[in-house]
Amino acid sequence: MECIKNEHTNEKIYYKKHKSGLNIYIMPRKGYTNSYAIFGTKYGSVDSEFRVPGEDKITKVPDGIAHFLEHKMFDQPDGTNVFDSFSRFGGNANAFTSFNMTAYLFSATGHFEENLKVLMDYVQKPHFTKESVEKEQGIIEQEINMYDDNADWRVFFNLLGCLYKNNPVKLDIAGTVESISKIDDELLYKCYNTFYNLSNMTIFATGDFDAEKILSIIEGGIIKNNPFDEEIERVYPEEPKEIASPYKEVSLSVAMPKFMIGFKDTDTGYGGEKLLKKAIETEILLQMIFAKSSPLYEKLYGDGLISPDFYSEYSSQIDYSYTAIEGQSANPKAVYETIIDYLDELRENGLDKAVFERAKKVIWGNYVRSYNDIEDFAHKFLTEIFKDINYLNYYDTYKNISFDDVKRRFTEHFDKQYSALSVVNPV
Amino acid sequence: METVKINNNISLHYIEMKKLKTTVAGMYIRRRLCREDASKNALIPYVLKSGCMRYPKIQDINAQLDELYGAKMSTGVIKNGDNQVIFFDCETISDKYAPNGEKLISGLLDMLFCVAFEPLCENDSFKNDIVEREKNTVKEKIQALIDDKRSYAQLRCTQEVCEGDAFAISKFGEIEDLEKISATELYEHYKKMITSSQIDIFISGEANIDELSMQVKKYTDSMEFSECERTESAKIKPCNEVKKVTEKMDVTQGKLSIGFTTELTADDDRYPALVVANSIFGAGTHSKLFMNVREKLSLAYYASSMLNKHKGIMSINAGIEFKNFQKAYDEVILQLNELKNGNITDDELNFSITTITNTLKSHYDDQRYMQLYALDGLYLGIDTDLENYIDRIMKVTKEDVIEVSKYIKENTVYFLTGTNGGEE
Repeated sequence: MECIKNEHTNEKIYYKKHKSGLNIYIMPRKGYTNSYAIFGTKYGSVDSEFRVPGEDKITKVPDGIAHFLEHKMFDQPDGTNVFDSFSRFGGNANAFTSFNMTAYLFSATGHFEENLKVLMDYVQKPHFTKESVEKEQGIIEQEINMYDDNADWRVFFNLLGCLYKNNPVKLDIAGTVESISKIDDELLYKCYNTFYNLSNMTIFATGDFDAEKILSIIEGGIIKNNPFDEEIERVYPEEPKEIASPYKEVSLSVAMPKFMIGFKDTDTGYGGEKLLKKAIETEILLQMIFAKSSPLYEKLYGDGLISPDFYSEYSSQIDYSYTAIEGQSANPKAVYETIIDYLDELRENGLDKAVFERAKKVIWGNYVRSYNDIEDFAHKFLTEIFKDINYLNYYDTYKNISFDDVKRRFTEHFDKQYSALSVVNPV
Repeated sequence: METVKINNNISLHYIEMKKLKTTVAGMYIRRRLCREDASKNALIPYVLKSGCMRYPKIQDINAQLDELYGAKMSTGVIKNGDNQVIFFDCETISDKYAPNGEKLISGLLDMLFCVAFEPLCENDSFKNDIVEREKNTVKEKIQALIDDKRSYAQLRCTQEVCEGDAFAISKFGEIEDLEKISATELYEHYKKMITSSQIDIFISGEANIDELSMQVKKYTDSMEFSECERTESAKIKPCNEVKKVTEKMDVTQGKLSIGFTTELTADDDRYPALVVANSIFGAGTHSKLFMNVREKLSLAYYASSMLNKHKGIMSINAGIEFKNFQKAYDEVILQLNELKNGNITDDELNFSITTITNTLKSHYDDQRYMQLYALDGLYLGIDTDLENYIDRIMKVTKEDVIEVSKYIKENTVYFLTGTNGGEE
């Protein structure tokens, strides 16, 4: 096993690539009561069009299938549900599907090895039938309906719909009631056999344990041993720099309008350290411009334009990235205009170096803090790995970011023509 | 947990959690939950974090937190049984990770005291413009309670179960009370609150408790305190007739919430058995509600139950199609009767115990949970040691579960439905 160390936080991670193609990461954490493992595939809601290695033609599947597949993985051939097997060992199991990843996980305060074996086993043994697929359609329909009433969810997806003309990130992760009705067991197997090939998967285990011992359990649990010798080709439609629409509003039963303002990143198409550098630069900028220590916040809040729930976040992926600023306001359009004016002012007067230095401190604090919760850390690490970023080497990139880098990034990213406003109004 | 009594009102508690990268300082001010004071208590933390004598603007406070490597300070109110608790939750990376050897936790505690004890005021009053602005913020918070339909249905159901009891009062109070508060009156109330309340300060993470207790003593030495109130929570009594409440809103999915009385609170020896009963019934993927309402009948994406340890109540929640109201209701009651009748498999019992103990043990990694668990114990006047509680859970038998289940009595059926009443 290779050992990756981070001297600033005194943490280390062991790594091995198994001959099945599986990437194995093991992170011992002394003193923690909880232990955690997450088994993820680089396959999310955006991957509805692809070419299976060895085949010529492109396969297109219904939207929402990655999420549907995640739900169906819990069924066992003997008719039971895999939650039972975890419960037996006190494991708290779950799974999630995001735009770019599907992951199966558990946490436990005892019997880590037994739980780990269950996790390894069921993710490698799909069992789909016509009946079980039909039954799941009812449950997922309720999940979709639940999100339909969720204002935060709607304001977010409407923003993505404004920013993106073609990129499938604009589509709901669970699909639609209509799209999931086209899913059957055969399609599920097709997706499973493509994306759950171990050469497309990564496992991360963490807790107070011996790394060698955990490695032997993971290796012993590997059933499939037929790695692809080429990459799965994912087909994403061409996305222009231009946004789809600058504004979208809907009405829901909420007390006050909710808004989300987005800036589409036009500089995309790469991962690795270059992407990490761009992400840190942007996070420093968001801290400088939108944090509660900023003159902008003082003005917006002082003028009664926003509530204290005002946040900004940068989401970075290889194929799409964007900044989102969210909050509640009686007048979202005025918030949008104030922000655009403030950005113009900054462009004219320049950024403040002292504020940059302070923001850089905050970003470092956040990095150290991210090690605290072993589950959050595992998610973060896995998300970054799928972007070819080693999160433990964060400092090497962080330390070299200069004020000039951030000024350049500011000019490039905060351009009004690539911005949009999404609003959920009260009924 | 190590406790240092600073004076008759203030205690400092230290929970050592060296494995974590951060240290959390939480301050909890205990007030009686009552209609008269609820909106004032809710407003105070928002006014305080708008500025203090040393850091007069929001920007100043937050810039100082940023200097401490992005330390956090959040404030607000929570309900803890019949207490309304004003809290300050502060977090910093632990001193050993400070890049230049800074004393971060001490700096953060200093800031906390400035914000909580040295508010910005003029002529023996808070500043009027700030109070008016923050009244609006709290008003919006009250109005926004309808936004999340799942928690709204839960909240409404609990209010109905607790009708006429202090616990029915919202943690933010009422808008009509809020609107009447003047800056002077609020400042008067603030002074009373600081001087006549039980104040618990928790430090969890890594710190030198002797140094910090000196710091607290030194700071509070010049302050005057009077005797403080300590309100004990009262149980909700079972009722004879089940209340039915339906509310309409423009929603796609209906929310069913059923409230029950249990007559048992956390200071009762039988409480661990009730926790296990709740788990078998509806807390987790092994539970009767999950296995039947969701997995067998596909009626809901979520269907679960939870307890309130201070009030002796239980509630179930499920998101369902409007037309499935009766079906879902019948299934919930059927599963409850299964529990009461002792139709409990060994797996259900064992999975429940392991799930609960697993969750409890995982809190040893969670600084905030450890503080809140200890706070509950202090308010209830019971043991604050988590390990003892875990032991008690592990000893629960099937007979214990059946015995306590008979106290679970249906009280209120609440349904949030569509504006057309679910007619299709």
